[in-house]
Amino acid sequence: MLLKKDQVTNWLNKLMQTYQVFAPEKEDNSFYFRQISSGDQAILDYNNSSIPPKEVFFPRSEKLFCYRTEKGGVQLTEQIGEEKKVVFGIRPCDAKSFLLLDKVFNGDQYVDPYYLNKRNNTALVGLGCNQPAAACFCASLGGGPFSQEGLDILLTDIGDQYLVEVITERGRELLSGMDLPVAGQEAQAAARSVKEDAALASAVDLGGLKYRLDVNFEDPIWNEIAEKCLGCAACTYSCPTCHCFDIVDEVAGKEGCRVRNWDACMFPQFTLHGSGHNPRPTGKERLRQRVMHKFKYFVDNYGATACVGCGRCIANCPVNLDIRQVIEQIGQAGGVQQ
Amino acid sequence: MFLKMLTRAIQETAQRLLQDKEVDLVVGFAEGSLPLRNTPCFIRQPEDVQSLVWGYGCENNLAVFLRRRPEKLAVVAKGCDSRAIVELIKQNQIDREKLVIIGVPCQGMIDRNKVNRLLAGRELLSAQVNDGQVQLKGKDFLETAPLEQLLHNSCLTCTHPNPALYDILLGEPVPEKGIGLELSNEADYDAKSPAEKQAYLQNELSRCVRCYACRQSCPMCFCEECFVDCSAPEWLSKSSLNVKDNVFFQTVRAYHLAGRCVDCGACDRACPMGIDLRTLTHRMAKDVQEVFGYTAGVSLEEKPPLAAPISLT
Amino acid sequence: MKNPYMPAPVKLVKHFVETEDNLIHSFTFQFLNEEDEKAFAYKPGQFAEVCVFGKGESPFGIASSPTEPGILKFSVARVGVVTTAMHEMPEGSILGVRGPLGNSYPMEEFKGKNLVIIGGGFAFTTLRSTIAYILDPKNRGDYGNLTVIYGARNPGLLLYKDELAEWEKRSDINLVATVDRGDENWKGKVGFVPAMTKETAPSAENTYAVVCGPPIMIKFTLPVLEELGFPPERIIMSLENRMKCGIGMCGRCNVGNKFVCKDGPVFTLAQLKTMPNEY
Repeated sequence: MLLKKDQVTNWLNKLMQTYQVFAPEKEDNSFYFRQISSGDQAILDYNNSSIPPKEVFFPRSEKLFCYRTEKGGVQLTEQIGEEKKVVFGIRPCDAKSFLLLDKVFNGDQYVDPYYLNKRNNTALVGLGCNQPAAACFCASLGGGPFSQEGLDILLTDIGDQYLVEVITERGRELLSGMDLPVAGQEAQAAARSVKEDAALASAVDLGGLKYRLDVNFEDPIWNEIAEKCLGCAACTYSCPTCHCFDIVDEVAGKEGCRVRNWDACMFPQFTLHGSGHNPRPTGKERLRQRVMHKFKYFVDNYGATACVGCGRCIANCPVNLDIRQVIEQIGQAGGVQQ
Repeated sequence: MFLKMLTRAIQETAQRLLQDKEVDLVVGFAEGSLPLRNTPCFIRQPEDVQSLVWGYGCENNLAVFLRRRPEKLAVVAKGCDSRAIVELIKQNQIDREKLVIIGVPCQGMIDRNKVNRLLAGRELLSAQVNDGQVQLKGKDFLETAPLEQLLHNSCLTCTHPNPALYDILLGEPVPEKGIGLELSNEADYDAKSPAEKQAYLQNELSRCVRCYACRQSCPMCFCEECFVDCSAPEWLSKSSLNVKDNVFFQTVRAYHLAGRCVDCGACDRACPMGIDLRTLTHRMAKDVQEVFGYTAGVSLEEKPPLAAPISLT
Repeated sequence: MKNPYMPAPVKLVKHFVETEDNLIHSFTFQFLNEEDEKAFAYKPGQFAEVCVFGKGESPFGIASSPTEPGILKFSVARVGVVTTAMHEMPEGSILGVRGPLGNSYPMEEFKGKNLVIIGGGFAFTTLRSTIAYILDPKNRGDYGNLTVIYGARNPGLLLYKDELAEWEKRSDINLVATVDRGDENWKGKVGFVPAMTKETAPSAENTYAVVCGPPIMIKFTLPVLEELGFPPERIIMSLENRMKCGIGMCGRCNVGNKFVCKDGPVFTLAQLKTMPNEY
């Protein structure tokens, strides 16, 4: 199907009648996925958002429940949202990241109802990347600029209109009432051409990486890698697949809420015991943990690498610590053939 | 041109220091992996000094890597880095005897946020600086802007571009930037009413994700337990959606830095959300100058204004 | 779907100061709702997240045994915000409990085997659960000889003193309580746990060793066990780590690719040897 670019606002306004719609908004030349209140607020002419849209399913701060203590008991009120949402204009890498987060939050033994409720009630309309950014390396992680993984609809920009590919039933539902024309030969050829031309400038070789990580825990190379790391969470909070969180109580007298906030394994007190013992006492252990988690432990536990190659950590790191260089460094240490 | 000269001078100096075993480590900058970026680098072998460069992306304050180090080391220091080092020596975080300061008079560093604003969302693929002009190339564009337009506000208002303390000085001293004030947003902020200032800060800090890049990049933030992480008493909420607490965090941080902050702008540059943090830190540095007549880091002998000597009689 | 973050309300029915230095208190809870009690079917070795509404949650090994129905018992050291609040709570207070969480000691695997249970300091909590479980008449016949070696710095710091005295009188358990330094009333052994383990020299044949204690005790006890011929598959340990969610999602408590809250806290020494030294 085909959607003219000047019809997008119309479609978004229509969707907003039933769904909460999240789309890229511009603020001071950076983009953020925010809930729009009118269709014309969405900006689709963008590279990628500064921080990932995982916020829609996994907010920076979220109430788990509220409590009120009373004589002889306590009142607990669960705070699970049931609103239907659409995330519009999401890039294939970010859509893929949700499939990875699903593995964590939708486990065999436990499920996270806060994440899952939002996830099950949300549709994803993706926008393929005609011009992948210089630091994007999604293809090295099994993704691609026009990958349909995890999406309900994929839009391909072919000039003054989009080719609309419906991937799931839920995607089809989003288009009800829009009566979009079928895409003719020319449009389809244009889309094919756009997809073929979308070239990734950056790649990493994950070939020997997992094998190295299986054995190099005590290797002194981690000292080198971590030396310039400041120990902030810029990379963590920019990452679509990072999911660490803290749980705290926020109180006002006899009432309060249990809240979960984003947290990062990069912080010193992340693993600090009450006794004062810290299994990860310095930045080196913490950076090693981050790299190991994404490129080894997640693979061990879920069979997938917890990275989608979006490049945000590279752009946002205050000291330009580049994960691609880290991967290369680890691969080359000890002269391992890749 | 002068970048090439400085790069060579830095490499030669580092090589000599390492070969003569005057130091075990040289901390400087290397080429970054993105256009206009440099990255901190740690050189221990004389043959590795080729990695050291000088550029317009040397924006980090390297003093942050010098605290409490056991070895003898050298650091490539701009004006602001050098002043930070002076303050850290006074605060017993750096042993003067173990540090060789390779001073580099600084012409200013480019602000990545200003470049992004100029490019309005288009991606930068390569950049070159020649004769005070910056050429920014992308897939389908070439933009040129005067270097002055793209320098960070901290550099534009910098009154100490030449290292205050050094063992070796590379290059000729540079003059202060006279035109800076008009190009920075200082006057804009000062002219706001209190309500407008509040609104401005809250708007900026609404983007804060509490990654603490500002705190971690600051040479002066070295508390073993930051007040943010204290749970008893819990001074502020950990939630980044609590904007008032984000403002509270930055305000208290500025106060904790009073008399120590050298206004290098490292915090501002580190922020991944492009928040204007410098307005607060710069104001604090100015207020300290006005009230106490003290500028951080210019003199090793000058005691911090509120430092009271211990009387032993 | 069940919400694993919602605590079940419990009432504090007994608040007991366990140690002379006032650092460890024991708390006995009763569920307010019967369905919560029924849903909380646990085994020795598991833990729960106990919360003080308004202060937060902390994970504690369950000290009571499932053979002691109707109650849940925890022993808690005062180290921070939540534990300090707990130490100040009067009986009758309402708290919350989430669980049971984690894996348990392999009670099925232990059947038909002898057991030597070695504990130090206040790591004895889940060991108490295990011992009480085994000594219960319904279960005792399933297990072989039971030797317990339990040490503390001084007599005042031993936990569960009443129970220790009772167990000493029994013939179906060989209890060796020891202290690093005795006092005028102490009639028991004096010596470190590793030394007592060597002295008691339980046979490794057909025996499992369960070890739980401070790092220094573990460091010197393990070589003794290995010398006695215990293979790493039959040395059972329990790890602790800083936790928040307790269900393997917040990413905090992992040692290598294992989460202490979900894949542990019980691990065999053989498993620990494959895990990175980060705990």
